[in-house]
Amino acid sequence: MLAWTVYLSFASALVLMLLPKGRVDLARGVGLGGALAGAVVAFAGSMMKQPGIQEICRIPWIPSLGINFHFAADGISVTLVMLTGIAAVVGVLFSWNIGERVKEFFAFYMVLIGGVYGVFLSFDLFLLFVFYEIAIIPKYFLIAIWGSTNREYGAMKLALYSFVGSAMVLVGLIAAYVVSGGTTTNLIELAQFGFSKEFQYWVFPLVFVGFAILAGLWPFHTWAPTGHVAAPTAVSMLLAGVVMKLGAYGALRVAITLFPLGAQAWQTEIGFLACVGIVYGALVALVQRDFKFVIGYSSVSHMGFVLLGLATLNEIGLSGAVLQMFSHGVIAGLLFAVVGRMVYDRTHTRELAVLHRFNLSRSLPFVALTFVVASAASMGLPGFSGFVAELQVFIGAWRAFPVFAIFSGVGLLVGVAYTLRALQKAFFADPELETETRGPVLDPISMPEKCGAMILMAATLIIGLYPRLLLDLIVPSFSSPLFDGLRNGAGL
Amino acid sequence: MSSIDYFQLLKLAGPEAVLALAALAVLAVDLIWMREAPIRQRQGAGAFVSILGCLGAGLCALQMPGFGSFANGMLVIDPLTLLLKGALLVLTVFTVLLSVDRDFTEHVGEFFALILLATVGMMLLVSSEDLLMIFVSLELTSLSLYILTAFQKRSALSAEAALKYFLFGGMAAAFLLFGLSLLYGLSGSTHLGGIAEGLVGKENDPLLIVALAMTVIGFGFKIAVVPFHLWAPDTYQGAPLASAAFVASGSKVASFFVLAKVMMLGFAGVHGDAGWRHLIAGWAPLLAVLALLSMLLGNLVAIVQGNVRRLLAYSAIAHSGYALLGVMSNSGEGMASLVYYTVTYGLTTLGAFGVVALVEERTGSASLSSFAGLGRRSPILGLSMMVFMLSLAGIPPLAGFFGKFYLFVGAIRTGSPNIGLVWLVVVAIAMSAVSLYYYLQVLKQIYVTEESAATVDVTGETNIVTCCAVGALAVLVVLLGCFPNLLVGPVLAATGSAGL
Amino acid sequence: MTSIGLGHYLVVSAALFCIGLFGVVTRRSLLVIYMSLELMLNAANLALVAMSRFNGNLDGQIMVFFTITVAAAEVSVGLAMIVALCRKRRSAHVEDLTTLKL
Repeated sequence: MLAWTVYLSFASALVLMLLPKGRVDLARGVGLGGALAGAVVAFAGSMMKQPGIQEICRIPWIPSLGINFHFAADGISVTLVMLTGIAAVVGVLFSWNIGERVKEFFAFYMVLIGGVYGVFLSFDLFLLFVFYEIAIIPKYFLIAIWGSTNREYGAMKLALYSFVGSAMVLVGLIAAYVVSGGTTTNLIELAQFGFSKEFQYWVFPLVFVGFAILAGLWPFHTWAPTGHVAAPTAVSMLLAGVVMKLGAYGALRVAITLFPLGAQAWQTEIGFLACVGIVYGALVALVQRDFKFVIGYSSVSHMGFVLLGLATLNEIGLSGAVLQMFSHGVIAGLLFAVVGRMVYDRTHTRELAVLHRFNLSRSLPFVALTFVVASAASMGLPGFSGFVAELQVFIGAWRAFPVFAIFSGVGLLVGVAYTLRALQKAFFADPELETETRGPVLDPISMPEKCGAMILMAATLIIGLYPRLLLDLIVPSFSSPLFDGLRNGAGL
Repeated sequence: MSSIDYFQLLKLAGPEAVLALAALAVLAVDLIWMREAPIRQRQGAGAFVSILGCLGAGLCALQMPGFGSFANGMLVIDPLTLLLKGALLVLTVFTVLLSVDRDFTEHVGEFFALILLATVGMMLLVSSEDLLMIFVSLELTSLSLYILTAFQKRSALSAEAALKYFLFGGMAAAFLLFGLSLLYGLSGSTHLGGIAEGLVGKENDPLLIVALAMTVIGFGFKIAVVPFHLWAPDTYQGAPLASAAFVASGSKVASFFVLAKVMMLGFAGVHGDAGWRHLIAGWAPLLAVLALLSMLLGNLVAIVQGNVRRLLAYSAIAHSGYALLGVMSNSGEGMASLVYYTVTYGLTTLGAFGVVALVEERTGSASLSSFAGLGRRSPILGLSMMVFMLSLAGIPPLAGFFGKFYLFVGAIRTGSPNIGLVWLVVVAIAMSAVSLYYYLQVLKQIYVTEESAATVDVTGETNIVTCCAVGALAVLVVLLGCFPNLLVGPVLAATGSAGL
Repeated sequence: MTSIGLGHYLVVSAALFCIGLFGVVTRRSLLVIYMSLELMLNAANLALVAMSRFNGNLDGQIMVFFTITVAAAEVSVGLAMIVALCRKRRSAHVEDLTTLKL
């Protein structure tokens, strides 16, 4: 059932391509319909999921190589599939105002969404890689055609970084496939094959870093701020919200699951890099003058928490990492929606020093409210999903490497600083002259924007107040046979 | 004295005979009936007869006995050669379709006849396991291709490209002949199997090293690997479009296959090892060096190209480097991956050239900037070019991705468990990542860049055949990428029964 | 007097090949280049005949018959190309082939 998320997304992309040019309303309708249908299937399938790993389909694809078209879902997959559903719908809502080449926009968008769903549901290594790469090309076009600042450079940088990362993963994938006998690419079977310690020692960093480039691992994160700023709003939301999670998911699902001994060997180094990412991202966000760059760097910082959680290799840290993937996906979506669609599309500037002229707290009160909620969630205030996730990551990190936990705490403090700075400068700064108390007249917030913002705010609030909804899915998945290697070797 | 059973020969060489007759038929039709007709009609008639001939040859191939051999290996029929003949016929049909709308010559009949004769040469090439047949059919193919390259008499560019192609090709043929002669001398036989037997015990003979080097030089030219690649950019750029497309697709398939056969069967004892820190002299390290240089040079120089035809040429050099991995695998799976890769590469290149043809005719040049805005003017062409470029870059779910994956798996598996060729595979994957940059440049022009000149819809009536061919090729590439087993299954079965 | 062995023939053949190669690479006139190309092919023919003689079977000599024919066909194609080129460029020198650059 969950596989229909993938099929529906690609089908709607096909329908969009066949629509006549110029029928903007039709294109938007099909886009929204496809995203909604996918989200409905995602939630329905997740709620009907049986405990353990649920098989969805397994069709022989290339028998001579042992490759199957294998979809399955465990708690982690399902969490992220639900995130994708939310992000897809909200992204379409926030792209309602795109006027140029609308059907192509939504066609590329749906292909990207389809690829993302495919990655989260694949339990065959080859299939996972195929969907992972499918997701790269639409990103390039979405940014290069509909983006803003420096879009062609940003798009090419993003595409090349992603491709280099996946090239690294391909090397590790082929090596693992051949060494395990070359008979299967099934994730579960490969996880149970005991790769030698020497082999894991060099393959793990290759595959982990390959995936983690897309997750914004420091120092390979430089594509992220440029790419996010260059992208149009919905694409930034998707990029920071879902696509970066592809990298983290791949790191967890492939690198850590298949090569647990290697993960243990490189644990400290990964933790260190994650920690640096948290602090560095936060510090750089503190000094940015462009509103969107603040959010871009904050994404790098928050993803650092995910990677730190992954590096802890204990159950609470890993579950915190997955929850943070969901939480940050929603929060980043909210932040980029505010900066891009709600503010920039109206004010045509993102300079923090200039935004006070628009007196945003008076002229766009809904936006101010949304950003306050988003800031609270981003800072990790209790009541929002970020708190639960980061708390778990901290506990896990304290058990694994207390020093890094302390440093990330510093990062958290800086996070409060840059968030409040941006909030204050953009929305609550005192207007300088009398004539500015009313500010120029800005377009009111449209209905699609309101719906989108409310969906995201509700998501982060619900999970913040009742995290068991997701944790009940995530935590049991660590008892599955996939994590046997981690349990036996690395003390999960 | 044994007499030759000509009936048996005719039965075994049926497809080639049909194709040769078709070539004559095209000439006859054009000379007798079509002298006064306008060019379009002559092209239509010529294409019709050619495609009919190809279909006839294909049918003939389907009805052939599964196994057969004539004159001790001169003409070998087994499922693998039949499969390759089928692939070559498909590529020829598409080449013929691509040449229908082009207006570059008045000698329409001769053009189609030469295409068919080149195909006859290629079909004989893939069936031969004897040095003489290899040389003669290689020369038949090459000579036809030289003439095809020079066909655009009004263009000095065409003559120059053809001359460079001819000079390099002639030299390579001489090298090949000398190498083959040394091979014959050392082993006492002209049949590949007999050569392998005759070379036992002579692995350290310096004459064998010379023979190996010269043979590789000869074949290396045909497949355009560094440092024998200098003819490729000029030929791809100067030749009339259909000829360039044919050189890029069909001759690659045949040349790679015969290279693999000669290396795997003839030089079977001198394989050597190209593994990291496991170097044993033989043909594998030699090909490894060629592959390395081709991958590096092809991709790096393609980045700076401004003309799409030259870009395709350098990308062809890079792809030859990847394909050599399949030859080095020295196994049935390696051969299967090589066949899959070269056939899908041929289809992709034909499609890319088709799009280039249409853009060239509209704007007068094949530079990158001529492609601006193609995605909006002709969505089908833009989408097809996206399929072709992404397949060449190795993006799933297209054929190019699976081809590369299969090549890499085959290459690493041969050395296992010491996974010796990993270093070369790592270079190949890295260079693939680099190649995405210049393929995206083409796609950027098509989809991102706004065009400045007034628009003329390229998918007009006069180009309907090319558009259909391009569309069909795009569909094929996607199909073979999503369901690779359609091709891999038969090929693996064929290599198995061919005893490789 | 030492009898002429296979080695002698091969040395002559190699020498001819090298002379031909040198000619193709260094000469400017296309006709002389073609002559050197023929020289290379005939060097290989000589090697084939010599090998055939010393191996004891006729395969090599049979091959030579075919390769001589093929070489003739090749040169005729080449000469046709010179004609095509001369019509456009009015010169039969290699250095004038400069339109196509890197």
